[in-house]
Amino acid sequence: MDGRPLYLEPRLEPRLRSLVAAQNTLHSLTDGLGSPLHVVVPDQIAENLERFRSVYRAHHLSGQVFYAHKANRSSALLRRLAATDAGVDVASLGELQHALGAGFGAGRITATGPKNPEFLWLAARTGVTVSVDAVAELDQLATLVRKHALAPVRVLLRLSGFETTGVKVLSRRSRFGTPVGELELLLEAAERHADAVDPAGVAFHLDTTSVAEKATALEGSLAALELCRSRGLRPRAVDIGGGFGISYLAEREHWEAYTTGLTEAVLGRRPPLTWGGHGYGLRNESGTLRGTLGLYPAHRSVAGAAYLDELLAQPAASLGGRPLAALLLEHLYDLHTEPGRALLDQCGLTLARVLEVRAQDTGGELLVRLAAKADDIALEDHGVLMDPVVIPRGGAGPGGGPVAVHLFGSLCLETDLITRRTVFLPRRPEPGDLLAFANTAGYAMDFHATRAQHQPAARKVAAWQDGDAWRWCLDDQFWPITPLRGAQ
Amino acid sequence: MRYDSITEAIGNTPLVRIDPAVHGLRTIDLYAKLEMLNPFGSVKDRAAWSMAEPLLAEAVEQGSQVVELSSGNTAKALAVIAGMHGLGFKSVTNRMRVPEIKDLLLLLGAEIEELPGQSECLDPTATDDPLTLFHRTLSASGSAYLHTDQYFNARNTEAHLTGTGPEIVKDLDGRVPDWFVACVGTAGSSTGVARALREEDPSVRVVGLVAAKSDFIPGIRTIDEVQEVGLFDPETYDTMESVSADEAIEGMLTLNRRCGILGGPTGGAAYFGAVRHLRALEEESQERRTAVFIVCDRVESYLSYVRQRRPDLLGRPPRQNSPADLSDAEVGEAPSVTVAEARRWIETDRPLVVDLRSSYAYAALHIDGSVNIVDELFAELVRGGLPFSRRQPVLLACPVGEQSARYAALLTRMGHPDVRSLAGGIIAWRDAGAPLVRD
Repeated sequence: MDGRPLYLEPRLEPRLRSLVAAQNTLHSLTDGLGSPLHVVVPDQIAENLERFRSVYRAHHLSGQVFYAHKANRSSALLRRLAATDAGVDVASLGELQHALGAGFGAGRITATGPKNPEFLWLAARTGVTVSVDAVAELDQLATLVRKHALAPVRVLLRLSGFETTGVKVLSRRSRFGTPVGELELLLEAAERHADAVDPAGVAFHLDTTSVAEKATALEGSLAALELCRSRGLRPRAVDIGGGFGISYLAEREHWEAYTTGLTEAVLGRRPPLTWGGHGYGLRNESGTLRGTLGLYPAHRSVAGAAYLDELLAQPAASLGGRPLAALLLEHLYDLHTEPGRALLDQCGLTLARVLEVRAQDTGGELLVRLAAKADDIALEDHGVLMDPVVIPRGGAGPGGGPVAVHLFGSLCLETDLITRRTVFLPRRPEPGDLLAFANTAGYAMDFHATRAQHQPAARKVAAWQDGDAWRWCLDDQFWPITPLRGAQ
Repeated sequence: MRYDSITEAIGNTPLVRIDPAVHGLRTIDLYAKLEMLNPFGSVKDRAAWSMAEPLLAEAVEQGSQVVELSSGNTAKALAVIAGMHGLGFKSVTNRMRVPEIKDLLLLLGAEIEELPGQSECLDPTATDDPLTLFHRTLSASGSAYLHTDQYFNARNTEAHLTGTGPEIVKDLDGRVPDWFVACVGTAGSSTGVARALREEDPSVRVVGLVAAKSDFIPGIRTIDEVQEVGLFDPETYDTMESVSADEAIEGMLTLNRRCGILGGPTGGAAYFGAVRHLRALEEESQERRTAVFIVCDRVESYLSYVRQRRPDLLGRPPRQNSPADLSDAEVGEAPSVTVAEARRWIETDRPLVVDLRSSYAYAALHIDGSVNIVDELFAELVRGGLPFSRRQPVLLACPVGEQSARYAALLTRMGHPDVRSLAGGIIAWRDAGAPLVRD
């Protein structure tokens, strides 16, 4: 170890902090249901929704917050949301069926992403809003509607390739949506299919952390809606997608110290901080740092609902410099958002049991093997660096101060690393201890999970607070009316 | 001084002593090298001219575009130089966070491309970062670019090795200062000057200043970002220290208000960092010693930067007739009408209907016969007094009835006898099924 341990302590809000502290409950859960185990906290998602709603209220905006289902397969989280006024954004036939089955009425569902004919038919049949990618999809949808004598389907026209005047923003090209320059063609198609589709507005989703790029797209969407109106359509909404982010770490200083340490390690000025000297995208070219850090910005001063607030406050240069929120309001448009990760902030954790702690002959880091595969705890796949919390098997366990460890998974593969970086823990873990990976509900639970080598994918339970105690049931057994949920 | 070209006016900037009553150092004379007095406004004029000049003739012949990764002063200087030679200039950046500079560059005819933000969903298959792609585009055969490459171009450093450094020695009557303090951006000026000074006297101590990691100071890099600079060599500096944005602005204020030096935040950071560093060392010797820091550029371009971080510095006297002066109680008592009442009122008394929304929203849909006075304009209008005859009833409308209630209260307070706010605003009007037109 070189100097002080580089901790990346997770940010824990009260609910998750309380769950992590319920050590006996967590041990008895993994004793009964095995390791790895995902625990979701449905009540948190309702609280997160409320934070988004308060941003809407502050700007007097109406419209829907659509939970992006793909971020987590949990039934409990979805059903808990069904008991609120949220919507859900589904990206497959299975997700649409799941949402309908969880209690979402069609008016609260939008279908997005690549669609197969069955998905499109069920969406049209039930009357959900369809986010249409291109003219061809609009044609396909209209054909379905006519052939099966369905009611006209509400559609949002998904756009991409927004452009600015003055300063050109080099946004990444998207697979999805119609370039805004070809909007006229899309509108011609919508007019041709006026009997089968009802254009309710436009949509976009940009995979970027940049507020400026999203503001450009939103401004472009307002211009697109104006074009719709000038052609006699009556659009009502703009859907700006998600990507509002999570701040994963408790301390900004941890993130800054770690990234500086990583830079120094890549430049050879301190020992490697990763297995095999991996640089997370950075490389050393004759003493100069090149490449880009391919990590999720794990500490962010502005994330989630606050990010939306900041976006809405951006001025629209081509529309008199008014803030975007004011323009949406004045034009009487509904604002739709599709946060996935941000709605799942603090909504769950993943538990993995320590199987083996091995010291190396050469000294250095301990090798810690967990009863979990890397794909069960996919934080690294998403570039999220965050320390697990050690939950000792019995009481405090052995002390001995901070240790540096490498965390390995249970697959018979060199690549099955839970983390590629050296993880610093405040104390040495022992076999039987649990490591709790906090805040894994957004994309890190089941997005990548496999059953490779006949190893089980993690089970999932839903947990809730009942006074001072934590109660739980299998994820699939959870309904918003599940007995023992608070006061009955 | 008579010149044939403005580029001849680059360099030979003054070295000005800071009044000891301001910095409070008793045994150290502190001098500011006023690079802000270069013709295009900054220390970067030297590097830009040094890098571009030898390539201009060929570039003119080929009609090349000058390109640079720059968020500010280098771009400004290059845009001017390119323009003077009939060439285009393009700046590629992801850090142009000061709007005035962006506007100035556009005014100078520059093309600006912003690099995309980080991906929210990590794409492990993405092999190339935007900068690598940029370099690949530049090096593609057949492309006509003059890439000055300030972070790696030795001529950047050389401009200061042969210019700035020797000028400092000359102005100190052939002596080398005991300390040289510089902010690190491209590392060109600090490296070049340090080398020139050390050639004369190796005992000079060089202090490099970087921005605190979570802070943003225009023109300065953070301790990690300097590692991406080819010209940066940690050996150049005897010590590296960081300065926060607040400290940079504090230093800037001292330069501006007490020294008459209208430098920007980078110069402020250099001054602050210099005084902080030197104060700690003052006791080690009683003999008179000398330190020099660089004032990189001018304050005028950073007003919005200051407004964002220290709005108190740009405070203005309270305005008359401002809706902000109203109490919640006054707003609560503002006369208002429901949509149904408003429709009847319009039929019978024909009030002047004022729509306070933006002109774009008004143009899209509005109440038939209404006039559009955008709220910002309306605020200016009422500052001078009532904009309507007292005998003319007025119906104010905004999106949800909030602003209009404020203005109805204000106009009532100003003495208008019959001004009312449309409760629930245009949204309530629409929701009630009342007609909106687009004419």
